[in-house]
Amino acid sequence: MAASLPMRATVPAAGSGVKQHASWSPYDDNGGTVVAVAGDDYCVVAASTRMSTGYSILTRNKSKILTFNPKCLIASAGMQADMETLHKVLHSRHVTYQFNHRRPMGCQAMAQLLSNTLYHKRFFPYYTFNLCAGLDEQGRGAVYTYDAIGSYERVGYGCQGSGKELIQPVLDNQLKAASPLVLPAQQWLSSLPLEQAVDLVKGAFVSAGERDIYTGDDVEILILTKDGIRTDKLELKRD
Amino acid sequence: MMKLRVPLLDGPSTSAAADPCGLQSLGVGGALVDSFPLPPVQDLDSFEREVVEYVKPNHGTTTLGFIFQGGVIIAVDSRASQGSYISSQTVKKVIEINPYLLGTMAGGAADCQFWERNLGRQCRLYELSNGKRITVRGASKLLANTMFSYRGMGLSMGTMVAGWDEAGPGLYYVDSDGQRTKGQLFSVGSGSLYAYGVLDEGFKWDLSVEEAIELGQRSIYHATFRDAASGGTVSVYHVTQEGWTKVRGEDVGELHFKYYPQPERHPCNSVDPLAA
Amino acid sequence: MADQGGFSFDLCKRNEFMEARGMKGPGFTKTGTTIAGVIFKDGVVLGADTRSTAGTTVADKNCEKIHYIAPNIYCCGAGTAADTENVTGMVASQLELHRYATGTQSRVITSMTLLKSHLFKYQGHVSAALVLGGVDFRGPHLFTVYPHGSTDSLPFCTMGSGSLNAMAVFESGYKDDMTKEEAMDLVARAIRSGIFNDLGSGSNVDLCVITKEGVDYKRNHEFLQGKPYERQFPQKFATGSVPVVRERVFDVRRAVTVVEGEPMEMEG
Repeated sequence: MAASLPMRATVPAAGSGVKQHASWSPYDDNGGTVVAVAGDDYCVVAASTRMSTGYSILTRNKSKILTFNPKCLIASAGMQADMETLHKVLHSRHVTYQFNHRRPMGCQAMAQLLSNTLYHKRFFPYYTFNLCAGLDEQGRGAVYTYDAIGSYERVGYGCQGSGKELIQPVLDNQLKAASPLVLPAQQWLSSLPLEQAVDLVKGAFVSAGERDIYTGDDVEILILTKDGIRTDKLELKRD
Repeated sequence: MMKLRVPLLDGPSTSAAADPCGLQSLGVGGALVDSFPLPPVQDLDSFEREVVEYVKPNHGTTTLGFIFQGGVIIAVDSRASQGSYISSQTVKKVIEINPYLLGTMAGGAADCQFWERNLGRQCRLYELSNGKRITVRGASKLLANTMFSYRGMGLSMGTMVAGWDEAGPGLYYVDSDGQRTKGQLFSVGSGSLYAYGVLDEGFKWDLSVEEAIELGQRSIYHATFRDAASGGTVSVYHVTQEGWTKVRGEDVGELHFKYYPQPERHPCNSVDPLAA
Repeated sequence: MADQGGFSFDLCKRNEFMEARGMKGPGFTKTGTTIAGVIFKDGVVLGADTRSTAGTTVADKNCEKIHYIAPNIYCCGAGTAADTENVTGMVASQLELHRYATGTQSRVITSMTLLKSHLFKYQGHVSAALVLGGVDFRGPHLFTVYPHGSTDSLPFCTMGSGSLNAMAVFESGYKDDMTKEEAMDLVARAIRSGIFNDLGSGSNVDLCVITKEGVDYKRNHEFLQGKPYERQFPQKFATGSVPVVRERVFDVRRAVTVVEGEPMEMEG
């Protein structure tokens, strides 16, 4: 198998191949939670800004969101080093795309690109859990959720990261609509007014901050509408 | 690792001749198939096992497919789980490769999604260079060859390729070990045994189309009833000479009350000693 | 071997062997904690946070980590929750019996010796890391007790996952012969530094001030943060939003027989 090796993370031992400590692992969980809610004509994306390892806080102010253009962004939780690399790769692909096509990338295209980028590292995955969010061709909110190796799906709302188990059921309870798979087809996008959606997201983060030690400090909130991106901030507990 | 070098059947190779459209350099349809980076470890097997603990890929499924006098029926559930967490109840487990070909999804969701999308691309390229549609036999072979070339690398996929070509209805089982089997009736996934129970009991060649659809739906429903890793919505597809159509999409919760209008009379319920 | 009662640790060797072979044992609640204590002019101040965690989730937002040992002795606990609670309870009851027998006040050093001999006997398997403080006729005393049974006697000490954060505050702020207010402020600051900088510690500050005159247990001395956000559109669940599918009333007495029993004999 002609496989290209990435840069080595360990110093190769003199003589033969790669040698490493038995319990060495290239991964670390830096925690954090990201949420996105799509509406009829908006998309709300929120991410906690705490970054931790073990029992320590590394910083209270790390953005987990990469905005490509006013209609498309991604939010990632998991390991910060992999998130940074992934964002760098996607940013450069987006710049190249704009040179080639003379327009910014749409949300659907970015969703597929993110899937392919994640799957490209199928055998050495990015330890990131992503949401791709924005507005689609028709101006409706769009959210795509992923697993770490690129399986993805368009949904009405999504949540990833350390507070996932605490927030997802709250969103399910408030926003769950008919499955997009049922026949005859039914409305499956949430139709909450924007202010209520923002309120719901804030409430969900406050709850997660109470019980998840990796969710805290601040939440940065991005609100995408046809008029552009508005930002909001919510302060959580700092303990 | 040895690779088969059969033009076109081999999937995209690195030589320019086999990639007349230059699709790979554009990244269309995915990454360069030969360039998945590997971790710098000696023991790949245990690394991949450890990775599964960290990234918890989507898993868990019941799917089935069978050929009968009226064509092919494909039925699937829609649940994805990561360990004991249900990560989605709305997964589309039937991948519409082209208007005459369907692929089903069991095992790793990303593996199925990526390689069946890749298969769709290969089938389209076949159409462009040969001026005719690919057979189900050919399509399933393309997928099986791809799987065989990654054998032992930890891919996880159990799929059925179903469709209609000049030879009539076709149904193949292809998995990540590289196995490829032609057949009349299959069920794949963690709930497959439950589905087989209902399916084998009710299957006849002479089933009417309506009866066949109902059998497919009923089999998946009963699998979701017993298998915790299956659930969500039951989708049923019907393939005929004119291509595939989606014929059913029903929530398993609704189906439960359809099959058992009085839940307390369900045979699973034990007798309540306090009941009057 | 003579049957001496107590816990059996026969299976520890087996478990070690099996874990070396890749088996995963069941986990138990280890509380990330910040606990601290300091000696001042006429007594000791003990402090603790109030967060209890199970893995990465907060199990209790306001638990009590300062345990009673004797009327003049208290003890902060870090480590496995069950071990700290039980080991302090056992010592408390032994001291109470001892006071009944002797009619004198318990000494801090006695409780420290009871704790360390118990912990040493179990070779670190009882994982209790303690900060023990009190005042007896010899004056104020402060000890740390480690899970393996070693002890320190110090003018200020910290324990738990936030011990380094708290110790940083002590090292910069401690001076001899502080007033009660100075000591309380220093301990509260030390605990707060654990609460904000250590993820295993959180919520509120508990203090316990012990002097010759008595004990002032200040539960939730500092209540740090309330809810940071009130919902603008609070979710109300109207009664009747879950439909009643069926209703059934049954007579419990038909299935259960009630027998009048004799009261149990209690020996005086």
